[in-house]
Amino acid sequence: MTTLIEILSPDFLLRQALIGSVLVGLICPLVGVYFVLRRMIFLGVALPQVSAAGIAFAALVHQIITSLYEHIDLSERWLATIGSMSFTLVGLLVLAAFERHRETVEARIGIAYAVAAAATMLFLAANPTAEAHMVNLLKGDILATTGLSLTLMVGVFGVVVLVLMVFRKEFLLVSFDRDLAVVFGKRVELWDILLYLMIGIAISLGVMTAGPIVTFGFLVVPPFTARLITRRMLTFSLTSAGLGAMTAFAGFYCAYRFDLPLGPAEVVLASLVLVAVWTVNRVHHLIGRWRAT
Amino acid sequence: MHEAHIRLQDLSLGYDGRAVLEHVSFAIERGEFVALLGPNGAGKTTLLRSVLGLIPVLAGRIEFGFDRFTSPPGYVPQGEKLNPIFPLTVLDVVLMGTYGRLAPLHPVGRRQRQCAAACLDQVGLADLAGQPFWELSGGQQQRVLIARALAVEPGILMLDEPTAGVDPDAAVSIMELIAQLNRDRGLTVVLVTHQLQIVRRLAHSVVWVEDGRAHKEPAASVLAPESANPFRALRGSE
Repeated sequence: MTTLIEILSPDFLLRQALIGSVLVGLICPLVGVYFVLRRMIFLGVALPQVSAAGIAFAALVHQIITSLYEHIDLSERWLATIGSMSFTLVGLLVLAAFERHRETVEARIGIAYAVAAAATMLFLAANPTAEAHMVNLLKGDILATTGLSLTLMVGVFGVVVLVLMVFRKEFLLVSFDRDLAVVFGKRVELWDILLYLMIGIAISLGVMTAGPIVTFGFLVVPPFTARLITRRMLTFSLTSAGLGAMTAFAGFYCAYRFDLPLGPAEVVLASLVLVAVWTVNRVHHLIGRWRAT
Repeated sequence: MHEAHIRLQDLSLGYDGRAVLEHVSFAIERGEFVALLGPNGAGKTTLLRSVLGLIPVLAGRIEFGFDRFTSPPGYVPQGEKLNPIFPLTVLDVVLMGTYGRLAPLHPVGRRQRQCAAACLDQVGLADLAGQPFWELSGGQQQRVLIARALAVEPGILMLDEPTAGVDPDAAVSIMELIAQLNRDRGLTVVLVTHQLQIVRRLAHSVVWVEDGRAHKEPAASVLAPESANPFRALRGSE
């Protein structure tokens, strides 16, 4: 209880990290809903890795520029943000361009993951002065969250939520029944690009803040949990986001209280919630069948 | 029934530049009930999807007697092609039919909800509005998809094998519903099926699709009556 009071105190030293973590837990499941519904889960593994490759590339560019022009003061974090976003968006658009060829989708995503992971290591290997905090960025540097980066996150995530809410009927239509959207004369490719843009932004900021593993975990696990207990799209989305935010907060608490690594604590906690909800759901279903007979 | 609702002129249809059907020319009149018949794989669905704009035509042209984008056709796909992971109630699915006339930034309002509820009532499923769509039987799901097509407020209904995978009794009731919509509301109906019996005496015309060609003929000249009640004929055939 003392730890909880300490965490909730306005003077808590890691307050910005806590808020950043909860924001990632809130927003990643909201876009992850579309990964689950459109059966693009493997893309949820590949894209955070592509984003990490962008960060490693930015680190290499930073090293080259600062070694050539010593007087230039480049912010590593901002450069990493640009690298992460541009790699994620390009990766998403390239993969989306081939989405119609469903028969080779797993192979393409697998190749994207392998290439991104290899490129990340090569970029780091080519960067002899890759500093420890750049490597931290690659793993997700939640403790380095500053007031400015938090403001950026709130602003960008706010835009993502707004777009997802305002255009939810279009996103639902092109995701559920693409043919009907075409019959209605909707520009399905443009709606796909807008949706992917929102997904790409959320993933790259998520990776910058919490790392690729945590981002993937929050993209997939809370929506899967929410799907077990919801019957409508709106409640599905809101429950996913709520579960993500709650497990992010609880994971932060556990990590702080028991001195655990934050990211793994959050993902394991989200998975435990999934197992608990699945078990209760299954037992409820079996009792219902037993009563019916 | 003299005004052309849709006119096809020397169409070539197919995939990846390879024609499946060639020299297809016929007109569908307002209020007409047209059945696209033919063997499996003959190109019935290709023809329907091309008219709907889902497959680009290779050659020729299609003229519409209505504005396809301000008043789109009501389309009923094969239910099994939809993804069951989406958490949707019956009303949610029917509401999608109203999206066709709603511009982006215009939310679904009371008018759309009333329209969807009325369409559900028309297909006899008003009581199931709040039920999860995927918990319904195959026949009920097809009725919901017909309600969704009606929520478009269309002048023409285009249905791709609406009785596929549905038990015989449900198939009969679906066909009765489609016939009633054609008769009472004057909706033009274009229906893909491979069951001759199912359209006997209901269809005004038949487009026979086979061997890369499609010909339209009056139903009476193609389908000789075998029974006074077409629905009994269907039941007997199953």
